[in-house]
Amino acid sequence: MPAFPISGYHGRVLDIDLTSGDIREKPLDPECAVDYLGGRGLATRILYDTIDPGCDPLSPENAVVIAASPLIGTGAPTAGRGHMTFKSPLTGVIGTSNSGGTWGAAFKATGFDVLVVRGASPGPVTIDIAPGHVDVLPAGDVWGKTTRETNDALTAVSEPGSPARVLCIGPAGERLVRIAAVANDRNRVYGRCGPGAVWGSKRLKAVRVRGKEKISVADKEKYQSGLDQALYMMKQAPITKRLLRELGTAGLIELINLISMLPHRNFRDCRHRDEDVEKISGERLARTLLEKAGACFLCPIGCQRHTRVTGGRGTEERGEGPEYETMILMGPVCDVYDMNAIARANYRCNELGVDTISFGGTVACAMELFELGLITSHDAGSLDLSFGNGDVLERLARLTANREGLGEALAEGSYRLAEAHGRADLSMTVKKLEIPGYDPRASYTQALGYMTSPTGACHLRGGYAVSLAFFGGTREIPRFSLLQSPIAIRNMQNTGILQDSLGICRFTGFAFSSEPWARIASGVTGQDFSVARLEEIENRIATLERMFNIEAGVTDADDALPRRFSEMPIMAEGRERRVSEKDQERMKRDYYRVRGWDERGRPGRELLRALRIRRRKP
Amino acid sequence: MKIQARFFASFQELFGIRARDVELAGGRTVRDFLDAVCDSPARREGIFSGAAIRPHIVVMVNGVHIQSLQGLRTPLSDGDTVAVFPFLGGG
Repeated sequence: MPAFPISGYHGRVLDIDLTSGDIREKPLDPECAVDYLGGRGLATRILYDTIDPGCDPLSPENAVVIAASPLIGTGAPTAGRGHMTFKSPLTGVIGTSNSGGTWGAAFKATGFDVLVVRGASPGPVTIDIAPGHVDVLPAGDVWGKTTRETNDALTAVSEPGSPARVLCIGPAGERLVRIAAVANDRNRVYGRCGPGAVWGSKRLKAVRVRGKEKISVADKEKYQSGLDQALYMMKQAPITKRLLRELGTAGLIELINLISMLPHRNFRDCRHRDEDVEKISGERLARTLLEKAGACFLCPIGCQRHTRVTGGRGTEERGEGPEYETMILMGPVCDVYDMNAIARANYRCNELGVDTISFGGTVACAMELFELGLITSHDAGSLDLSFGNGDVLERLARLTANREGLGEALAEGSYRLAEAHGRADLSMTVKKLEIPGYDPRASYTQALGYMTSPTGACHLRGGYAVSLAFFGGTREIPRFSLLQSPIAIRNMQNTGILQDSLGICRFTGFAFSSEPWARIASGVTGQDFSVARLEEIENRIATLERMFNIEAGVTDADDALPRRFSEMPIMAEGRERRVSEKDQERMKRDYYRVRGWDERGRPGRELLRALRIRRRKP
Repeated sequence: MKIQARFFASFQELFGIRARDVELAGGRTVRDFLDAVCDSPARREGIFSGAAIRPHIVVMVNGVHIQSLQGLRTPLSDGDTVAVFPFLGGG
């Protein structure tokens, strides 16, 4: 049985009940730490033990759990991502999200591994975690402020050697917008699944952290050998060495168009004019809006886009983005190819605290409803919601965050919007989460990833199949293989679980796989985190997330794509492509089998025993 | 026959252009196409390592990775589009 101290962990959990005001420090269960590693794994286990998965996500019964990883606080590249879990108010299933920036590392320096926030405060508050004290304070003037204003106001109290870092919501979270985000460092965003609304329901505006606690490394030689290997490989691979810094994530756009995977007009097709796609490409962004690249904590890649946009009246403003997903969801998915309009709406979403993927997907859905006459000009407050009207994006971001006019409906996300008009089939979502910028008809692997992602349609939790579709050797894993997709996507999902549980960036995966991480994690902790052991942990976490969702009411029927993808074909590789219901059924049954779940996607008793997963105490 | 060459990311700099038409005699392959566009030592070095394409480079014919076709021996036809780009990721 493992016991603390274990290097890499402080062994401490901070548990705050905002209803009672109780602030408790608890020991971290060492077995739980070693079995679930950190980040996403540890936060999922603690969330599962803390709440009833059947609870109302906007009630005090929901909780927010944020966990650091044992690598945070070491020199491991990109290790600074805190991971947040909660029950999602958008999807009703597990919500799980993380972000770069500096907050995760600063939180670990407070001397805690995990923060649990439960209950709901009667009035708006902030949490302040500082050396020697933890306080729940009235939010005062920052309630109502943007994420940028809140960040700047609360970091003003920084002390030398211990700068304050702030994680906060904007007005969208305060108004319980179901697609609201949580941000740190002004523009680094925990975007997906609506975490901002959960914070808003708890009247929690911000968590400010300061600290100087360090962690030790158990086996310096092993740690250093893994670190050297990782850094060497990141310098060798052109993508991590320079391409992401030069072009940002939007550098992918023209290539995704080339393989007919770039969605268009609420995912009706993947047809674009090449000259339109060039207008929103990473190459164009680098030549026009980009002022400089930036990097998250300990990141040698540096993909951030610090940009400048000229407004309609000649005014200039600065911000971050657009990233690939933002560019596609607010762009071609809305039939918009105006980079300036997308960037301005991106800035507003970041400031007001709105997820840009779900926002773009919801606007596209509204545009289709408008085209069909189901949303009228009167409903839209005389705004022209026609596909292709980029000028409306920025205005809609404000309306959504403030729940004003049409924004009241958009704030609910595309599923509830479409359902209210009797056309739920026009919401391009899985489990009510908006599909990101890769069309599932262009890769069965990606389709299955969206179907089986624990959070709903997400390229990060469901598996980033694009890299398989054309980077990873298409001969080995064809993108239209029904047979190979289940194993391929399980492996991609597991890689994501490992990265999220180590608190590291997905993009390290473009340079190397889990071997250097196994050496680094084993070296830091002195525990056996061999590749085989890590695989066991990945499977354990995937199955625990499934258990949470089943207890939240998910069935195999929920693991399905919207009808559009089985009925309306696109052209790819010279043929019509769709993902028929029969093919979806076959792939998901195979996927369940690969996971060791039963034919309805339920983990059985034997599997739980083999993976040493304890059931939640009711 | 006329082949449309398309270069992405760092290869736009290397080849000094985003897209151009390349004239090839009939019955030629992807290797012939690459030999034709790599008309300087820098360009040749940017694409090839010995006789093989460098790792981290993807070549597609009409949106299909040549690894799924016949590699450098993939035959080309009039009007084909050949895209050359480095591994890229994002999202």
